[in-house]
Amino acid sequence: MTLLLQQLFHGITLGSIYALVALGLTLVYGVLGVPNFAHGALYAIGAYLVWALSTHLGLPWGAGLLAAGVTLATFAAFLERIAFRPVADASPVRQMIVALGLLFLLEGAVDVAWGAEFRVLPSPFEGAVSVGGILLSRQRLVVIGTALLAMVLLHLFLRHTLVGRSLEATARDREGAELCGIDTRRVATLTFALSGALAALAGGLVAPLVLLSPHMGEVIILKAFVIVVVGGMGSVPGAIAGAYLLGVAETLAGSWLAFAFSELVAFVLLVLVLIARPEGLFRRGR
Amino acid sequence: MPLVLAAALMLGSVPGCGTGPPEDVVTIGYSGPLSGGAALYGRNALAGVRMAVEEINAAGGVEVDGRGLPLRVAALDDRYLSSETGTNARRLLEREGASAIVVPHAAGILALQGMRERLPAFLLMAYSSDPSVLQGEDPLTLMIPARYDAYVAPFVERTITRFGPRLGLLPTTTVYGRGWGAAAVGAWEARGGEVVGNHGVDYNTTTDFTGVVARALADAPDVLLVGGPSQPTALVIRAAREQGFQGGFIILEQAKLEEIEEIVPRSALEGAVGVHPMETYPGPGVSGFVRRFREAAGAAGGPLVSEFAQNYQATHLLARAMELAGTTTDLHAIRERMDEAARTLPDEVMLVRYTGIDPRGEIGREIWAVEVVNGALAPFRVDSEGGARHPGWSAPAEPIGQGTGARAGDRGAAR
Repeated sequence: MTLLLQQLFHGITLGSIYALVALGLTLVYGVLGVPNFAHGALYAIGAYLVWALSTHLGLPWGAGLLAAGVTLATFAAFLERIAFRPVADASPVRQMIVALGLLFLLEGAVDVAWGAEFRVLPSPFEGAVSVGGILLSRQRLVVIGTALLAMVLLHLFLRHTLVGRSLEATARDREGAELCGIDTRRVATLTFALSGALAALAGGLVAPLVLLSPHMGEVIILKAFVIVVVGGMGSVPGAIAGAYLLGVAETLAGSWLAFAFSELVAFVLLVLVLIARPEGLFRRGR
Repeated sequence: MPLVLAAALMLGSVPGCGTGPPEDVVTIGYSGPLSGGAALYGRNALAGVRMAVEEINAAGGVEVDGRGLPLRVAALDDRYLSSETGTNARRLLEREGASAIVVPHAAGILALQGMRERLPAFLLMAYSSDPSVLQGEDPLTLMIPARYDAYVAPFVERTITRFGPRLGLLPTTTVYGRGWGAAAVGAWEARGGEVVGNHGVDYNTTTDFTGVVARALADAPDVLLVGGPSQPTALVIRAAREQGFQGGFIILEQAKLEEIEEIVPRSALEGAVGVHPMETYPGPGVSGFVRRFREAAGAAGGPLVSEFAQNYQATHLLARAMELAGTTTDLHAIRERMDEAARTLPDEVMLVRYTGIDPRGEIGREIWAVEVVNGALAPFRVDSEGGARHPGWSAPAEPIGQGTGARAGDRGAAR
């Protein structure tokens, strides 16, 4: 029982990171219909920025997180302008090629800038709290708490501000939104900025727990795609639910089956959902 | 690591298309990962070869028939994929005129051994500790590092005596990691111990090790076998200590203590056994070599790693064998003199003490390992402790196929 709860805690930590990455991906897909593979590279850059700010400039972790968020929001908006807007009306294949090309380009840039070796960011929160025999590491509690806070803020933004609502309107019906006077181009830029900030947050949060490498985004972007498909392409609650589902399922499967199976879980889940409910768990069929 | 990066960037200037092999130059080819997840590992191996080549050329090249022939390196990226190794080898042999090819992964080595009949002859400088590279009895293969099964019995003996009979396994899931694990299980049980859990985990793709470590610790092991690339290995060790594990660690020799210690403190490593750090390795030429390495790398240089040092030494071995054989083209004659070259290598390049080379291409050597005892590294000889091989060992049942790499930083294994 202790092991079960312990693993549940680990699964929730993992799910929190997955959720932040998947949210950025699903927002961009919802608004622009672009499967943004380069999102994985943004996540890696976010982690590296926090690492660099902390080791080279001695910035505290929280400040580094904030700075990385702002930087990557700007950078992602810039990417939208120079890379995605020119192909906005092109075929999905071309958009996908642009996204993939960006992924490799950005990974290469990280390699040149910071080297191929693994980097380690010392954990800013040492130690653990023990609750009934379960070890809750402080760093992980901070990860979960920050991720939840970010999700609540995102929800408030999308539902209760004019800008946020125009974003949702564009996601639901682009033409309708334009007819209502919403500048969908600006919304697209804004969505990218938001996804960049979420990627930076995810990367920065996870940085003290994992090893940084230029390719760290590749594995997580695959998982995030599974989550987005499982949750329903473009659905925000779907991405969150899918992320926690996957995080917990992976950890538990690793504990009770062989650990090698945990990598399989995401894709088994994907196949099952595609068979039973192809539109995703949280998206109404059209 | 700007030095290594610079070396990698220089690859762009390797003469490639249609230039043909220059005359009166001995070409050493290299095919290994220079991009992707294992890039650093591959670049380090290549940088070791380059440093040796620069030293040999500075001293006048390889002396044959009274004149010195310069060496050159031609390097190609195979992204850790054995299929690419084959293509690269053909280019290196036919266009660059390479006499020897350095390959730093088992899958690529086995692929080239299988292609012997379809390629011009060349010396295969195999940088892999997987004993399967010896199984083909390829007459022109030289296995550069010590085989990993040399470490198994001594590591088992020390940890089982000190910590107790329950072993949990957490190695990386490459062919190499599983082979090591299987060998350790055999040795552990032969020694009367009990294997309480076997949880392979992919060290390259796993984001978070705490889950699998919690699972492994639930079996209450006295000793954990861990290892893959150094940095993920450090995270596994950190997770185990954070979750209250008090026992010892058997660390696969792919992971290096000096790199692990950049991430976890020495105190977390109490009771660990692993390979001896390269910078302080008890070989005759090490201290001088470390000084030369530091001068070449400058202040920004990274740690001196084993793949750098061992490929450096093997390149000197190759050059010496050519001089002894009096030829740079008769490969069988060169291979024949390697045994003598190994025994008579000058002290300044004898980093690891070589004692000879057996007909299958395995280099006999002094192998040193360390155990962390009361916060200090206690060195011990592996090759003289209860025999290098334990009786229960046999080759991994699973054949190593295309695309399954078996060494450090091994993303290629997943492909």
